Amino acid sequence: MTTSSRTQSLIATLPGTYYTSPEVFAREQEHIFETSWFCAVRSADLAAPGAFRTVTVGRESVLVARGRDQGVRAFLNVCRHRGARLCTEESGTVRRAFQCPYHAWTYNLQGELIAAPNLTSMADVDRRDYGLGRVQVREWLGYVWVNLAERPGSFEEEVMAAVTARLGDGEAIARYDLAGLETGKRISYDVRANWKLIVENFMECYHCATIHPELTEVLPEFADGFAAQFYVGHGAAFAKEAEGFTVDGSAGLERIPTVAAEQDRRYYAITVRPQVFVNLVPDHVIFHRMYPLAPDRTLVECEWLYLPEVVAQGRDLTRSVELFDRVNRQDFDACERCQPAMSSRGYAGGGVLVPSEHHLAEFHDWVRGRIGE
Amino acid sequence: MIPVCRLADLPRGEAFRLDTKPPVVVFHTEDGEFYAIDDTCTHQDASLAEGWLEGCAVECPLHASKFDLRTGQADVPPARLPVRTHQVVIEGETIHLVLSDAVPNLPFAAGRGPVAGGAT
Repeated sequence: MTTSSRTQSLIATLPGTYYTSPEVFAREQEHIFETSWFCAVRSADLAAPGAFRTVTVGRESVLVARGRDQGVRAFLNVCRHRGARLCTEESGTVRRAFQCPYHAWTYNLQGELIAAPNLTSMADVDRRDYGLGRVQVREWLGYVWVNLAERPGSFEEEVMAAVTARLGDGEAIARYDLAGLETGKRISYDVRANWKLIVENFMECYHCATIHPELTEVLPEFADGFAAQFYVGHGAAFAKEAEGFTVDGSAGLERIPTVAAEQDRRYYAITVRPQVFVNLVPDHVIFHRMYPLAPDRTLVECEWLYLPEVVAQGRDLTRSVELFDRVNRQDFDACERCQPAMSSRGYAGGGVLVPSEHHLAEFHDWVRGRIGE
Repeated sequence: MIPVCRLADLPRGEAFRLDTKPPVVVFHTEDGEFYAIDDTCTHQDASLAEGWLEGCAVECPLHASKFDLRTGQADVPPARLPVRTHQVVIEGETIHLVLSDAVPNLPFAAGRGPVAGGAT
């Protein structure tokens, strides 16, 4: 089904039930989050061999770990013996192996079963058949991306192409050297709203003049309601009087030296479906990962990435971080204001999109297509 | 004396498990020494060949009991009883063993097969 038109100016959104229904959410988990490239972990958070993180991807818990060979691998976080959750912590470091806390089945950092009580007495068991379930992994932009599909789609076509389509140039993202930057600040937002409300909010700027006073001061064109995501390759220019991308327009930090002249004093925004948003400004990158946990609950983990020397010197990042932290809180407040109304009889048929939001209909069609409508 | 393997088949840091009854393991330490002990941890049936070799000791992969390869003593619990040690003899390019005739300290279930009606 394709999104229908109400008038030429106003076209339909998804009906309210798409934001509240456990059945829709279950289909999204299965057909979107468990079949897409999902940005799971910042690579630097798995610095040493044995470092691990567990993340929720769709309905699965996924264990992501760095091996002795420095390679990153991902596994289903399920013991092959009786199904106990292998790692219950969100993060940590194991010395050598993952051991199930129930019967001590023990797996090395490659996910191979290396020991289990009485295993040597079971001559007919080939322990190679009982390794942890493997999950496909790619590292890009300093992040570990996982894909739970049996036959994952091409990372180049699904992730890299989305970035190129937004920036209009495959090299543009490389100039920000995301893998070489370091986390200056990380904030987790527990948002009581459906993940699609957050995606939609990030994709449009019709709301900017109303709820983002600080952002529109620095990016005056945002007051017109056309987001940086509306035009291919367009970066919103900083206001003449803004020295940097900060909460009060004061100077930012050292510019990332490889950022091109035409990228200077501009803001670019990218959505990588289904759960990543990236903001690029000359001196830092703001990287959001969403973890949808329930129809009405989404965890958003956000990092502010700077040049390593900026972080090492302990420079004051307060005004730099505060701008987008405020933007995030303003956005998530708006999403949380919408969520309760999604089950109202007044929204059963959905709402409408104005022309500067029409590109959201393509996102709605994509969701519908993925969940089999 | 029984032949085990060629020297070249057992690099430093590695273990070679013999399917004797009970099984025996030969370790080649990072320092170049050879030691042989019973392969089965005395605490619970697990193969020490799959454990972690650290100097002259091996740590059981299951519960981190640590055995001294020179004496067989369990230096770190939960294992309490020692494993037997066996004599390693190198002749030419081949590793041989002289097996101990002492009584092994095997955990209850090792090599016994399924026990009907077993419970925790």
